[in-house]
Amino acid sequence: MSSNKQGYSLVERYLPYLLIAPALGYLLFFIGYPLTQGVLLAFTDQNGHFTLQHVYYLLYSPSSNFWPALEDTLALAAAIIPIQIMLALGFSLMLSANFKGKDMALYILIIPLTISDVAGGLIWYSLLTANGFFNKLFMALGIINQPIQFFGYQFRPMEFIAIVLAEVWRATALVFVIIFAGLQMISKEYIEAAEVFGAGTWTKLRHIIFPMLKPSVQTALLIRTLFAFQVFGVVMVLAGRDIPVLAGEAYYEQTILYHYGVAALYALIIAAISVVIGYIYIKMFKAQYLREVTM
Amino acid sequence: MNNLYTPRMSRAISKSVAIAIIVIIIAAIIAGVGYYYYASQQQKTVSIIWASTQLVPPEEQAFVKGTLLTDFEKQTGIKVSFVGMSYSDMITRITSEEQAGKVTISLIGDLHGNLDLMASKGYLTDLSKFGTLPGRTFPDVLMKYAHLHGILAYIPWMTATYVMVVNKEAFKYLPQGLTKEDVITGSTKWTYQALLEWAKNLYEKTGKKLLGFPAGPNGLFVRFLHGYLYPAFTGAQVKNFNSQDAIKMWNYLKELWQYVNPASTTWDAMADPLLKGEVWIAWDHTARIKDAIEQKPDQFVVVPVPIGPKGRGYILVVAGLAIPKGAPDPQAAWKLIDYLTKPSTQVKVLEKTGFFPTVKEASTQAPAGALQVLIKGVNAQLNAPNPIVAMIPSLGSKSGDFKSIYITAFKQIVLQGQDPQKVLNELYPQLLNLFKETGAPLPPPDSGT
Repeated sequence: MSSNKQGYSLVERYLPYLLIAPALGYLLFFIGYPLTQGVLLAFTDQNGHFTLQHVYYLLYSPSSNFWPALEDTLALAAAIIPIQIMLALGFSLMLSANFKGKDMALYILIIPLTISDVAGGLIWYSLLTANGFFNKLFMALGIINQPIQFFGYQFRPMEFIAIVLAEVWRATALVFVIIFAGLQMISKEYIEAAEVFGAGTWTKLRHIIFPMLKPSVQTALLIRTLFAFQVFGVVMVLAGRDIPVLAGEAYYEQTILYHYGVAALYALIIAAISVVIGYIYIKMFKAQYLREVTM
Repeated sequence: MNNLYTPRMSRAISKSVAIAIIVIIIAAIIAGVGYYYYASQQQKTVSIIWASTQLVPPEEQAFVKGTLLTDFEKQTGIKVSFVGMSYSDMITRITSEEQAGKVTISLIGDLHGNLDLMASKGYLTDLSKFGTLPGRTFPDVLMKYAHLHGILAYIPWMTATYVMVVNKEAFKYLPQGLTKEDVITGSTKWTYQALLEWAKNLYEKTGKKLLGFPAGPNGLFVRFLHGYLYPAFTGAQVKNFNSQDAIKMWNYLKELWQYVNPASTTWDAMADPLLKGEVWIAWDHTARIKDAIEQKPDQFVVVPVPIGPKGRGYILVVAGLAIPKGAPDPQAAWKLIDYLTKPSTQVKVLEKTGFFPTVKEASTQAPAGALQVLIKGVNAQLNAPNPIVAMIPSLGSKSGDFKSIYITAFKQIVLQGQDPQKVLNELYPQLLNLFKETGAPLPPPDSGT
């Protein structure tokens, strides 16, 4: 009987490990192994010896685009994310009101989510190019008599705008879906209670909706910022390497220049930045009300 | 039950057994003779091995085995087994077979660079002893390169190159002194200076920058820099990298760039910009403009590249057919060479793979339309005067750095307006170092032939 009992406790003790073993194995194989390989690639030469040559190349070579890429990636994130959060918030509030055709509007808003980034880039390319839709339209309306140039190294500020436009159009839907879902979860009772006490629209927004939306906004920000550091397809299509971004440079070093070590280094840098940003967001946005409720 | 078999019966049985045995023996003899006859017939149908580094992708291999070689077998009764392999495998295998003195491969299909290496080691048969191939003319440029180390090392089989494409609209804006004929045939009046004047004229008359290059991240513009402009202006790809001629070349490109569609830095292939009418004159690899010409064969002409102060620089990718020394069946291999270089076969290969014919007669054999436009253009370039053929250097893993040096020079000098001499002086040692590190020889035209 006692041995039986012991056996039971043995199972009890090791069962959890057994149960997480597949997940652990999965993580080790699909994340641990590639990560180790990535670090090895970044810091060894062809003969497998430790080297910092890839780091030197990345930082100092005239052929390396690291600093401009870092700068432009940050600039793009800084330009795109606030616009997306604002728009998504606006749309969510709009769609939480009842009006005719609300479902239709919802579906239309979400359509861009289904389009891949390269396809999205191509759509905006053909809209904005010198022979494209907008230029033809504005010329026909007599608003401009020369096509507006959006693309090319000499027009980098315009390329930047084009990328922001395409990204806002393509990925706002993702932020919107998260925030809209968060908004739906806020119980009507809070708002009704506030109304009983005579709260106006702004007060309701400021003291009920925004605080309760924090977890959703946090999730949306986190996902969006991580994606912003992986931005690639849209930039490649619209600006090539005129506006270098980190993921684009990793691709270029890997496939065109065959600098596998440097490409791995880029990947590690993107990963490191993502971890840091994720940490900051989680620290910054502790959902106050949730803590109070659970405590 | 013991006496079931009477003596008579047993005698009858033994008789029928004897007959059966005789029948079996006779049948066996007939079968044996028949098999011997069949086997000897089998030996009469010749079978050879063709090793190739080209047409190796599954789709192309299916075409070679299913169409080309079955057709060849029907015509000649020669059975060919096609063996696709990588560049390094090919060199290793030929080397070991030649050194062991036991050659199994009868025909080699490979790129110029590899064949050059084999010829330098004396592994290839001099093909001039087989006589000529009637009914086909190989351009002089190709034949010149096929003569290696004192022998005719290979027969030019397929080519690929980069050409210019002109929208017929653009011919309405030709600059003074340049005719449509000059451009199409690649006469000596079709110069880089004329291209500049043409692009300028187009800009002044239409208000649009209608010349374009694939200078995007995946574009092949770098080939235009090292294989076209450099040879045309300095006579070499690498040697004169920071010479006075090179400075002139970069200043020319800076001037030209004023009339180049600025969106060029985002384009990877020119087919789309040509079709959308964003450019009227473009330069690109034949495979990357094919689409435009297939969709609108009447709208575009493929023309040779212009000529520079030193000549008409262009990159040529040539695949050749060679017979190794001591090949088991050189005669059958020669028959296969004969078949593969027939204009009709070459057109079939172009249709399926995008590799261009090496014989002039193929242009008349191609069906009218897109293919003919393409073949005519490539042929015109191969036969245009003053060629300086450039070959892509074989730098292995360093080939990315090679590209990077020319692209960095372009970016700093043309796009950012830095001093050409300073930029080139800084980059030149890096460029030379690539050849030193890998031990690769300087490519033609730097090395001569």
